[in-house]
Amino acid sequence: MTDVILENVGKTYPNGYHAIPSVDLSIEEGEFIVLVGPSGCGKSTLLRMVAGLESITQGELRIRDERMNDKEPAERDIAMVFQNYALYPHMTVYNNMAYGLKNRGVGKTDIEEKVSNVADMLGLTELLQRKPGQLSGGQRQRVAMGRAMVRDPKVFLFDEPLSNLDAKLRVQMRIEIRQLQRKLGTTTLYVTHDQVEAMTLADRLVVLNKGKAEQIGTPMDLYDKPATPFVASFIGSPSMNLLPANLVEQGIKLSETLILPLSHAHRGGVVWGIRPEHLEVSDEQNADFALRVQAVESLGAETLIHGALEDQSGRITSLVIRLSGPHLPEIDSLIWLIAPTKHWHVFDAITQQRL
Amino acid sequence: MTVTFPQKGLPWLLLLPQLLVTAVFFLWPAEQALEQAFYQEDAFGLSREFVGLDNFLDLFTDPLYYQSMLTTLVFSFSVAIFGMSIALLLAVMADRVIRGKLTYQTLLIWPYAVAPALAGVLWWILFDPSMGPIALWLESMGLDWDHYLNGGQAMILVVIAATWKQISYNFLFFLAGLQAVPRSLIEAAAIDGAGPFKRFWTIVFPLLSPTTFFLLVINLVYAFFDTFGVIDATTKGGPGQSTNILVYKVFEDGFVGLDLGSSAAQSVVLMAIVGVMTVIQFRFIERKVQYS
Repeated sequence: MTDVILENVGKTYPNGYHAIPSVDLSIEEGEFIVLVGPSGCGKSTLLRMVAGLESITQGELRIRDERMNDKEPAERDIAMVFQNYALYPHMTVYNNMAYGLKNRGVGKTDIEEKVSNVADMLGLTELLQRKPGQLSGGQRQRVAMGRAMVRDPKVFLFDEPLSNLDAKLRVQMRIEIRQLQRKLGTTTLYVTHDQVEAMTLADRLVVLNKGKAEQIGTPMDLYDKPATPFVASFIGSPSMNLLPANLVEQGIKLSETLILPLSHAHRGGVVWGIRPEHLEVSDEQNADFALRVQAVESLGAETLIHGALEDQSGRITSLVIRLSGPHLPEIDSLIWLIAPTKHWHVFDAITQQRL
Repeated sequence: MTVTFPQKGLPWLLLLPQLLVTAVFFLWPAEQALEQAFYQEDAFGLSREFVGLDNFLDLFTDPLYYQSMLTTLVFSFSVAIFGMSIALLLAVMADRVIRGKLTYQTLLIWPYAVAPALAGVLWWILFDPSMGPIALWLESMGLDWDHYLNGGQAMILVVIAATWKQISYNFLFFLAGLQAVPRSLIEAAAIDGAGPFKRFWTIVFPLLSPTTFFLLVINLVYAFFDTFGVIDATTKGGPGQSTNILVYKVFEDGFVGLDLGSSAAQSVVLMAIVGVMTVIQFRFIERKVQYS
């Protein structure tokens, strides 16, 4: 069953700023959708429009087939976890969680039962009588989630909930959020700028760029078949190598002397891409091209090699390759590489669409 | 961070202006008042006689002094409560203003720049029974206004005059306090199903409590000690004793009635009251609500 539908939803501010031109998205019941994009891409605005904290100036938002555009946040049956948690500092953890239930006229014994169930699930039972100021960052994060869960809403909204935590806690909470969401089966809309968070959490990802959905799909769809160079560079770390090129009869012409063979009907400017992990080290005879090593980053399990692709005209293009295990090539030495055709990504330089 | 001075003299030199002002305008007069409180002095200041605690005993057996104390309490709490409620209401509204925000806020701050005596004169003219526009309007509404004869009305007048001046100050603090409440808390409460009124009373108002308490003390101190000008310019403590608050009585008994000993004793009592209020303030301010 489709739970949340955004139809041609857009936002124009009173000063004329066109924050979100138009977004179409339909979310299945229980689905975990991540909105991801660089800062200023409109992802938080879109989430706040679903929450009812920002007005929708165009299109329609429906939750369970009910038009929500003009409903107050409280009437939408959603719960939100804010980036700074937005816990009420003068209330105990218990009262923070009970506040929404009290406002909705839930009976006292019911509230006690619900709060203690959720507190149990999140390991907050010991902390119920404390105030937010006495909690650690991770505990506050949990209380914020508890406050959302206790109402058993139709939709969870998360606005960068992990960005205030340290790296280790972030990984732990990421896994916890995913497990809880699976267990509760609540439809979830989650905003982040972190592509690792996005990839690991999402059933489906929405990559936003300048208020437009560049691509919507499963993490693997986006990784394997990015629709635009923007998505290609945003998903995956380190980013995909993207080089400007020309598609000619013989193939992809990266420079006067370097042409990678390909038969394709398209002619003209293209962007040619390959992920760092898909470049293979080879010998001089079989190689497609050579890379002059500029910097080596050893991460133990893998090694990132930054280098330059040189041609006769002296033009230099930077490339990154990612090899598993330790490697220690000399700086300024040459590495011979193969770029397997099946891993190529070719985009039209003008329309920015995948060919 | 602690800064240590290599020279011993410099810190004292830097503190000197402050110390000098405190010594000349507070310590010395305070000491004089304290001393005077134990003497009986003739009206011309030619001779004086040590009387021990007689001045204080007279004071605390005088029904007029208790009446003045009651008047002061009524006056002070009225000024504090009205001044703060109105300022809070204005601040809440100003917080929502988007267009012309700065102009509106600046206009609201202006009364603070008016001297107390002038504020008194302003309201005295507005309420003058024979020509004041407000008094005339009240009369046309069937309400006989004459604060020269009616003690209750005189009290209302001084409360209005003293409150009006203090609203600006309270407004500034409340507005700053409101702007310090994170927007996301209000949004979270909206999602949690609280309407605007409920949001204000359950979230915003409790978070303003440090500001509110601070202002309560400041307003009480203002009403207790800083309203001499307002009273003197409007009612001069009358009619009868109806607006004769403690700080005005000090002046009246001392410089009009020339009973310097009693006036000094009253000053000492007032000083003790300031002391107690300051202690209370520090006790509570230290326990103020934590902002997350």
